[in-house]
Amino acid sequence: MPRKVAAVAGGLTYFSKARKDKTQEELAAEAARMALFESDINLTKDEIDGTIVSYFSDHFENQLLFGSIIQDYLGFNPKPSVRIEGGGATGGLAVRDAYAHVASGLLDVAMVIGFEKMSEVNTAKGNEFIALASDTDWDFPIGGFYSGYYALMAKRHIEEFGTTEEQMAMVAVKNRNNAQHNKFAQTNPKMNPFAMKDGGKITVDDVLKSPYVAFPLKRLDICLMSDGAAVLILASEEKAKKITDTPIWITGTGAGTDAMRAGDRARKVGGVPVLPHENKEWYRKLEYPGVHSFLAGRESARQAYKMAGITNPLKQLDVIELHDAYTSSEIQTYEDLGLAKYGEGGKLIEQGVTTIDGDLPVNPSGGLIGSMHAVGATGVMQAVEMLWQLQGVSGKFHGSNKTQVKNAERGLIHSHAGTGTYVTATVMER
Amino acid sequence: MTEVYSIDPLVIKTPYEIAYKHSYGGTSKFFTSLPSGKLMATRCDHCKVTYLPPRSDCPHCLGETKWVELSGKGTIHTFTTLHFSGEKFLKDLPFQLVYVDLEGADTLFLTRIKIKDMNKVRVGMKIRMRISREPEFRSSDVWAEPDE
Repeated sequence: MPRKVAAVAGGLTYFSKARKDKTQEELAAEAARMALFESDINLTKDEIDGTIVSYFSDHFENQLLFGSIIQDYLGFNPKPSVRIEGGGATGGLAVRDAYAHVASGLLDVAMVIGFEKMSEVNTAKGNEFIALASDTDWDFPIGGFYSGYYALMAKRHIEEFGTTEEQMAMVAVKNRNNAQHNKFAQTNPKMNPFAMKDGGKITVDDVLKSPYVAFPLKRLDICLMSDGAAVLILASEEKAKKITDTPIWITGTGAGTDAMRAGDRARKVGGVPVLPHENKEWYRKLEYPGVHSFLAGRESARQAYKMAGITNPLKQLDVIELHDAYTSSEIQTYEDLGLAKYGEGGKLIEQGVTTIDGDLPVNPSGGLIGSMHAVGATGVMQAVEMLWQLQGVSGKFHGSNKTQVKNAERGLIHSHAGTGTYVTATVMER
Repeated sequence: MTEVYSIDPLVIKTPYEIAYKHSYGGTSKFFTSLPSGKLMATRCDHCKVTYLPPRSDCPHCLGETKWVELSGKGTIHTFTTLHFSGEKFLKDLPFQLVYVDLEGADTLFLTRIKIKDMNKVRVGMKIRMRISREPEFRSSDVWAEPDE
């Protein structure tokens, strides 16, 4: 039997297009200091038994084995450490791996250290590095890059289900405007000294009038590219109860995978693996997953819900932080997570269900569109945000109470790589 | 002299270049068939699945696949028009990518479409694959053109 595991503390850096003031290891230290010294915990640094280091690309800094530099810089030698990499899902996989380390008894107290510094190359080169996480024999040489791949999938979602660019814009507005109450967010110039100058609130009209990057995706439909770090501390039940009065338990976790080239994915009629609250009949004629849906996302959610005993996610979850790399992929993910029927994700945002005052707020932090996407830090950031939400301390850390979801008891974090190649889903609760 | 961008913090230029000797291994035939104008895919007779991009090994049964020639005819499954790209392709902008559903293939194939009026591209449009007369042995040696 796996041991019970709780999140006990977390820390974030200010996120920014370029944190020229600090190196990657210095950013990691900034987040680790917050986790250790600004949380209400009874834990010293020496009581951490090992680390899980989470970063995506060796190319951004042209340094291999960076995990070793981090381990040394933060003073954890000779304790065990491992580097986790899985594209955009790197952070989610690292949190899951830390859970496994603690649940198995290998570690009693584990620190997950996520970071990325993407600013040392220009944006087009950064896009190219990220595109190297697509098939470099076939998809990259014709000019493929991620906004293009997601545009192809979004267009197919529009074609298949009638999703609209207005619905996509509503996602951008929700996440960007949530971020205006989160002091760490890159788009929040009022609270974050390292924020972009042209941040601030936006409207649906602003999104629709922003220039196309890859039709149907416009500039404001697309996530940020960030420098920054996130640190999460997990502990076994016995330790967690000594460390904090408000441990947040990890009660379910799942991971799914799919083809690197989205064109190689199955298109199986009626092939949806249904969740307990769904009816196979709904999807009798649907080719699945095709390029409009993420089987890996569905599979990760299915496992996490099963482990956590969730049979109706819309009713049993109070808050979600999900991987909104694109507004379209947030809508697609609503469906994969079973919050809406396949094809009805667009309606969910239209109905306001996922807004901060809605029945199930999604990305109160601002997510990847409003707050940050420093790849290796992203999934770890989600876990930190969820910890704070469920402890009821989001306001204290964000510098504004407007991001706190009231009486949140159970939440889901969702981390996503590639065109849906690796996806993790993890349930956390009070 | 090292190029210096700023003093505090100190920011310097560090170039990095590399050339790989890249092998296409068992899928080489796709590329070496291009000069003769053939669009080759691989097929697993056991699982009855045809792959393009080709796979030497079938992911379902892990048996070896065989080569088959495709007609190159198909339809557009979805498309995008790019106004931004990775650094390497900025010079080509704007251009269009399509997933094409090719006759005889069970996978969708990602390629560029070359068309006079980009506004005419739509889902369901009939296309035909074209092959460069001077292949560079990259996936950009093939592309789609309208066929209607």
